[in-house]
Amino acid sequence: MKAVILAAGEGARMGPFTASVPKVMIPVGNRPILEFVVRSVVESGIRDIFMVIGYRRERIQSYFQDGKAFDARITYIQEPKQLGTAHTVRQAKPGLDGPFLVFNGSNLIDRAFVGDLLDHADAPAVAIKESDRPQEYGVVTLRGKHVVAITDRPREVTSNLINTGAYVLDPAVFDLIDRRAEEGHHDLPGALSEWAKTTAITAVESKGTWVDARYPWDLLRLNATALQGVHDVRAGTIERGVAVHGRVSVGEGCVIRSGAYLQGPLSLGPGCEVGANAVLLPSTSLGKNVRSGPLSTVSNSILMDDVNLGPSSVVHDSVLGSGVVARAGLLAASGPADVLIEGEYHAVRQIGALLGEDSELGNGVTVDCGTVVNERARVASGARLRGTIPAGAVVH
Amino acid sequence: MCGIIGYAGQRDALPILLDGLKRLEYRGYDSAGVAIVGKGLQVVKDKGFIADLEAHLPPMEGTTGLAHTRWATHGAPSKLNAHPHTDCTGKIALAHNGIIENFTALREQLESEGHVFRTETDTESLAHLIEARYRGDLETAVRDALHEVRGSYAIAVVHADEPGKVVGARNESPLVVGLAPDETFLASDVPALLKYTDKVVYVMDKEMVVLTPERAVLKDLEGKTVHRDPQRITWTLEDAEKGGFEHFMLKEIHETPKAIHETLLGRVANLEVNGFLAEDFSSVKLVACGTSYHAALVGKYIIEEIANVPASAELASEYRYTRGAADRPLVILLSQSGETADTLGAAREAKRRGCKTLAISNVIGSSLTREADRTIYMRAGVEIGVAATKTFVAQLIVLYLIALRMGLDRGTLGYEEADRLKDELRSLPRAVLAVLDKEEEIRALAASYGKDARDAFYLGRHANYPVAMEGALKLKEISYIHAEAYAAGELKHGPLALITKDTPVIAIAVEDPTYEKMRSNLGEVDARGARILAVGTEGDREIGRLVDDLLTVPRTSWIFSPVPVSVALMLFAYHVARLRGCPIDKPRNLAKSVTVE
Repeated sequence: MKAVILAAGEGARMGPFTASVPKVMIPVGNRPILEFVVRSVVESGIRDIFMVIGYRRERIQSYFQDGKAFDARITYIQEPKQLGTAHTVRQAKPGLDGPFLVFNGSNLIDRAFVGDLLDHADAPAVAIKESDRPQEYGVVTLRGKHVVAITDRPREVTSNLINTGAYVLDPAVFDLIDRRAEEGHHDLPGALSEWAKTTAITAVESKGTWVDARYPWDLLRLNATALQGVHDVRAGTIERGVAVHGRVSVGEGCVIRSGAYLQGPLSLGPGCEVGANAVLLPSTSLGKNVRSGPLSTVSNSILMDDVNLGPSSVVHDSVLGSGVVARAGLLAASGPADVLIEGEYHAVRQIGALLGEDSELGNGVTVDCGTVVNERARVASGARLRGTIPAGAVVH
Repeated sequence: MCGIIGYAGQRDALPILLDGLKRLEYRGYDSAGVAIVGKGLQVVKDKGFIADLEAHLPPMEGTTGLAHTRWATHGAPSKLNAHPHTDCTGKIALAHNGIIENFTALREQLESEGHVFRTETDTESLAHLIEARYRGDLETAVRDALHEVRGSYAIAVVHADEPGKVVGARNESPLVVGLAPDETFLASDVPALLKYTDKVVYVMDKEMVVLTPERAVLKDLEGKTVHRDPQRITWTLEDAEKGGFEHFMLKEIHETPKAIHETLLGRVANLEVNGFLAEDFSSVKLVACGTSYHAALVGKYIIEEIANVPASAELASEYRYTRGAADRPLVILLSQSGETADTLGAAREAKRRGCKTLAISNVIGSSLTREADRTIYMRAGVEIGVAATKTFVAQLIVLYLIALRMGLDRGTLGYEEADRLKDELRSLPRAVLAVLDKEEEIRALAASYGKDARDAFYLGRHANYPVAMEGALKLKEISYIHAEAYAAGELKHGPLALITKDTPVIAIAVEDPTYEKMRSNLGEVDARGARILAVGTEGDREIGRLVDDLLTVPRTSWIFSPVPVSVALMLFAYHVARLRGCPIDKPRNLAKSVTVE
């Protein structure tokens, strides 16, 4: 059995976090989302992976290489232009000779999820899941155990069962995909709805993990889910008088200074420095070479590689992209906010700051809940930020 | 992840086993060992790297054997706990991947029967169990033993009294058999075999295999023969390792951001680089060859700028034969492989002169690291392409760290300034990513400037003069275009005569202390009608007007500009060579590490 993983998209709805990496390479729990997909597939006994890549493909290739380090054999297929999921899967056709699995590279899944689908791998199948926001997904209409149709973002919600975008397919579907492509349709759910008229497609409701990443605040849910599986690791230097509770992974070469308080689940990548009397609360991930200054408090946040958070900063429910530098006293508190992404406002219940890579904030900057600071913005000391700050902007 | 390799054939087993182990190195390991059956059974193992093991091997003759790289699970990494493990008689040697779950019970039982255990490992119990079941036939003994074992395993076993035979078995750990005329192989993964054969048979769970030079026989755990057709492996070793990139060089250029991260890991926070940097020497001498020499030249600017310590760079092949001054500088020797003959000679010469020596190398345990008093590793990962790419950048990163440490220790660098510089160091991976994202643009420039060129000139000044030299070297090495680098201030002293409209000029004109001077130099070149491609700083609105084409790199402090600029020039040289159809990863007449003088 072979698996096709869709990893070609840019993920424009991820705001500043896809400026230099594709969505699937955004880290949660200190690993790219895509790595969770690859590992879950491999742990289920599938080693042959076809990875369809496009936007910033080199980031994916450099990371996974030929897959050996993940016990997989990865074949890369380039999709020059992303037209739709059916088009993406179609790219893998030459390598597929029997039934195969399809996974979306930007969904956090576990082995149980893959296993449930594998149990039904003898015929076409769709993995479905209950959702509290079915109107945002493809809603699956069933007759018994079989799919009747998948309706994308229906105006009238008839069911809370949604399509997870994970499938068992066989090469017979490619004829249908090609025919629909000639008519200008490139989406996979549409193709399956049509296929369902002639072929029995089983709906598999999985009890495994499936968390979708669509908007930046989803990353915090993925991060918290990923951190549930974090192992206790103590590498680096942990000075005297550091309190560590719960499951905390401290990477190689970290320095945790006296008086720091670490409450797991937490994951600290290699080379991090946690200053004296700093507090790290669940569920927080620090990438490589991150520095969280003395007396800083960080909770439920992602600080990607090389972030330098100055002393006495407070960061809640926030995502800080790679290389963000905040001098002393950054205040990024959390609360409800309407966040503007790709021209649409989204009401988010609980959100702090979303800071794009390499943005640089001076001393004592206050960031209102739900503010999006795009990549490489420069913000002067004492500023108060709200709304959306464009990429490369200079804010006085 | 442990790795196993086994061999039964006509040739000397040792080199084949060691080569196989190296192919499995990517799996990670902390100790390694080898067992050979010849006139008897010889087992050698040690903690550390395969290269270390290899350096200390006694002569081992025999055409049957097995080898193993271990990643500690039960028992610490140590010589004793390394595989292969032997039984009480020293006749059976066993390598094992996986975990024997019921090893404590097995061990108690075997110890009560008088077996003497030497290690804390789960594997040793299996070696003794096979010994206990041995009645003159290894295959039967292994089968009987496996019936008593619970857990996961891939094993390879040899017996001193049964030369020419390797017995393997698997349960939940990978194992593959390779078939060639008059020899058979066993390994954890295909790359270990690919050099010798492309014909393989996968061993499945609860199956055994008996290797002899003539054949490999698969059996189930009841002893029934299993028939399975061999498969042909259609991918080559190189394809496997290139991970979808067209060349190793391109793959390795794209690994630069990762290499920077790895080099910085655990070193930025406390500047943990240890190399006499606090000691009282009056100057630093950087000694190297080739690309490393260019890094050394940049290092001179880095150390003088950041640490305010006088520094100079010299070619290793020259340094060795000079007299040297009376004062004793700290001598820093740079070599990616750590095996460069002239650099090794220079290290000895420096010691003879009474200097302290500090090596910067990428290969753990290499000759240079043994020769020098201390070593700082680059940790850039394996580099296969002959043209050095990511390792050049990693060398620069080490030099920045050294300069920072030196400056702080000597009080010539303030803490605030050091913090600012550290922030910039941390941002370099993304500065490089931004350059990598311009690959399309660089490819187009390569087509326009390099595809049909016979000669090319590289200009730079100050810290970027050596970067221009490195850019020219890359172009020479892989595209065979005659390329020269000049310090732009020297143009008037001769080279200007060579510049015509047919010689493209690649000029580094980033915003550094000589930026204004560089602009007037470019005017001189422009007056000769040459086409100029400038590498400039993002957001510079002036320089574009003076040149024909402009490629920008992200803004950094000038002292860090060699990092993004050098990556841009690597990509440029790569695409020129590719458009000209050159054998990029293996240029003519060149070897990866120069071990002759």
